[in-house]
Amino acid sequence: MITRLLKLSFLCAVFFLILPLLSGCDDQQKEKETRVEPAAPRIVIGLLPEQDLFSQKKRYQPLVDYVSRKAGVTIELKILSRYGNIIDNFISEKLDGAFFGSFTGALAIKKMGVVPIARPEWPDGTSTYYGMIFVRKDSGIKNVADMKGKRFAWVDKATTAGWLFPLHFFKTQGIPDPHTSYLKECYFTGTHEDAILDVLNGRADIGAAKDTVFYRLAETDKRVVDELEILAESPRVPANSLAFAAHIPSSLRNTVKKILLGMSDDPEGRALLLEFGARRFIETTEGDYDPVFEYVEHVGIDLNSYDYINN
Amino acid sequence: MKKKILAGLIVLTVLMIAGGYNITHLNNNVITELQNIISLHEVEHLRKNLLNQIKIVQSDLLLKDSPHARDVDTFVLHVEEMTRTSAICSTCHLDPKGKAMLHDFYSGVDRYTKQLSRVYTIRANEERLTQEKEQTFQTGQKVIDEINNLVVRLDSKIAAKITQASTNISQAKQLLTLFLYTSPFVVFGLAFFFLRHYTSSVATLIGATRRLKEGNLDYRIDNDLRDEFQELAASFNEMADSIKDNCEKMQQAERLAVAGEISAGLAHEVKNPLAGIKVSIDVLRNELPLAQEDKEIFLRIINEINRIELLLKELLSYARPSPPQTISLDVGNVLDTTIKNAQYSLKKPTGNDQPIKNIDFVREFAPDLPRVVADPAQLQQVFLNLLINAIDGIGESGTITIRTEALAGFVQIVISDTGTGINPENLSKIFTPFFTTKSKGTGLGLSITRRLVEQHDGTIGVVNNPEGGVSFTIRLPVLA
Repeated sequence: MITRLLKLSFLCAVFFLILPLLSGCDDQQKEKETRVEPAAPRIVIGLLPEQDLFSQKKRYQPLVDYVSRKAGVTIELKILSRYGNIIDNFISEKLDGAFFGSFTGALAIKKMGVVPIARPEWPDGTSTYYGMIFVRKDSGIKNVADMKGKRFAWVDKATTAGWLFPLHFFKTQGIPDPHTSYLKECYFTGTHEDAILDVLNGRADIGAAKDTVFYRLAETDKRVVDELEILAESPRVPANSLAFAAHIPSSLRNTVKKILLGMSDDPEGRALLLEFGARRFIETTEGDYDPVFEYVEHVGIDLNSYDYINN
Repeated sequence: MKKKILAGLIVLTVLMIAGGYNITHLNNNVITELQNIISLHEVEHLRKNLLNQIKIVQSDLLLKDSPHARDVDTFVLHVEEMTRTSAICSTCHLDPKGKAMLHDFYSGVDRYTKQLSRVYTIRANEERLTQEKEQTFQTGQKVIDEINNLVVRLDSKIAAKITQASTNISQAKQLLTLFLYTSPFVVFGLAFFFLRHYTSSVATLIGATRRLKEGNLDYRIDNDLRDEFQELAASFNEMADSIKDNCEKMQQAERLAVAGEISAGLAHEVKNPLAGIKVSIDVLRNELPLAQEDKEIFLRIINEINRIELLLKELLSYARPSPPQTISLDVGNVLDTTIKNAQYSLKKPTGNDQPIKNIDFVREFAPDLPRVVADPAQLQQVFLNLLINAIDGIGESGTITIRTEALAGFVQIVISDTGTGINPENLSKIFTPFFTTKSKGTGLGLSITRRLVEQHDGTIGVVNNPEGGVSFTIRLPVLA
């Protein structure tokens, strides 16, 4: 009896001594498991400041993570403080791709031969946007004549809605160089959102921005539609498209394109699209930029020599 | 007692479970309090970290457009880190006022980040840029002020919570120490209580047994013992009573045996001279020319000598019984013969057929009665003694019923009479030697009867009949 009790006590003691070691073994196993990770290719995608830098990055990050996971590629987002930076970064080869705006896209195609692959289609079925010139309803500004001596908030010299369109608007109204003498002050907000908010908050009298940002902002701030008045609208141009630099292999381009186009068929992808504010991604080619090229030509800009730096 | 032992075990188990639960509960409380303290220190760390993050962003802002300006990527990372750190505050448990302050803080952070973005994206004249930068910086300072306000609000609560947590830990430690030191005493106390509870009764029983062993047959357990021990004590007392009775009986039997031996020896020595005296008296009575009155005196002397001889004969029969000469016999035949002898003894010595008493002998013999192994003479003496007793118990007339029946392994003989019966107080004494209620009885008849029955491995008993008279019941083993 005593021998049996001693044996039992010994076994219990051994069990309790081994117990922490078992736990330790489990941790070591997990450590080993976590160490084994295949190295994934890494590419950097540039992002234009449609809205504030952080909101813009926050909006695109889930989308990029999804594509990154599906394609088995490490994709890093690089938010840019200026639209024109995107061209500079491509020139310095810091970027492998970018969500280009229509004007920067056209610029990049002409200057660097980037390859557009896909762009979002909005819930209303459109995949384009247009520029708009707006003022506060209580500003008394109704036409170009009223704009004389006022403050104008442009977005960037590398934007269609925030520069090209208002420039074209003034030219058609007989004012070819409004920022030098006709307007009291001209400045570049850097983002469409800030251009809208500046006019709304009285920091500028007139502003120009794209409709997609305008109405997205209106969803969270009703004053945008209640207090602002749109005076002019541009023709439609392609929405911001993902384009890759020419050095990116076509296989990777096709893989990413396939994933983006297939998102609407995947429940997870659909949820992300909903969050992003799009219905699906559609294929984009250089031909989709024809309206921009035509518009640029009409305004009289030579893309090959165009100075996109904001002065 | 089993229930009490079970209850004791349950109490101990419950105490152990309760103790274990309390210790676990206290440990959990201590761990929780320690976690709270760590969390509260984390809050402090978070506050400092958040302030550092904001100050870094503020320095990024101030350094912008200077030769030491950080690139946009670094700036974005700093702002993201600041936003992420500030988001942790949402996990803190705050009262409604604290929540409102936190809401204002988040609004401030949101406003600050938008302004920061604007400063980095806007291209305007120097005046506007300076204005934007200054406004953003002021917003950043406001955020810092809001954090400090929150901290001021929380600091006192945090300090109070840390103090409370420390107090709780200290109390838990004291309770654990108390448990540690008191638990063995409680367990030992309970064990002692239960042991004492049961061993005291056992000790009482052991003490009583020793007293009995020492010869104190009058000792009884008077204490009220617990549970089954009380029943055991009652059994002990009954056993002591029984031992005392048996001892007394044995002593009496021994005394009687000694007296019997002496009496038998004396009787044997007296019997022969007494026969000589009787013969001599009879010769003198017949030979001497005596008056009739004198002859009657001699006759009375001879009668008394006859009575002394009968007494001596019975005394010898009781003290030195002859061993039974057994044969297989039919009890009915023995009874028949004995009944005839008894009927004969009822006849008057004058020679006519008129009996002394008018007694009716009723035979209720079972047919095919099994045979028994017995000494017929001794058996006849047994039955005759009982019949004579019955005759003596009956007055002028009555009935004596002799009934036999076969039982399992026994033949039962019941001799009942319709006489006066026996006083109930004397029922247990009638088989005792020399006990008699008759004026001329020796008191040995029924003693001899029982001895003879017991010599045949049988039993004899007596009861008063409900309707009067007594019944003697004899059981003799049948021939196997």
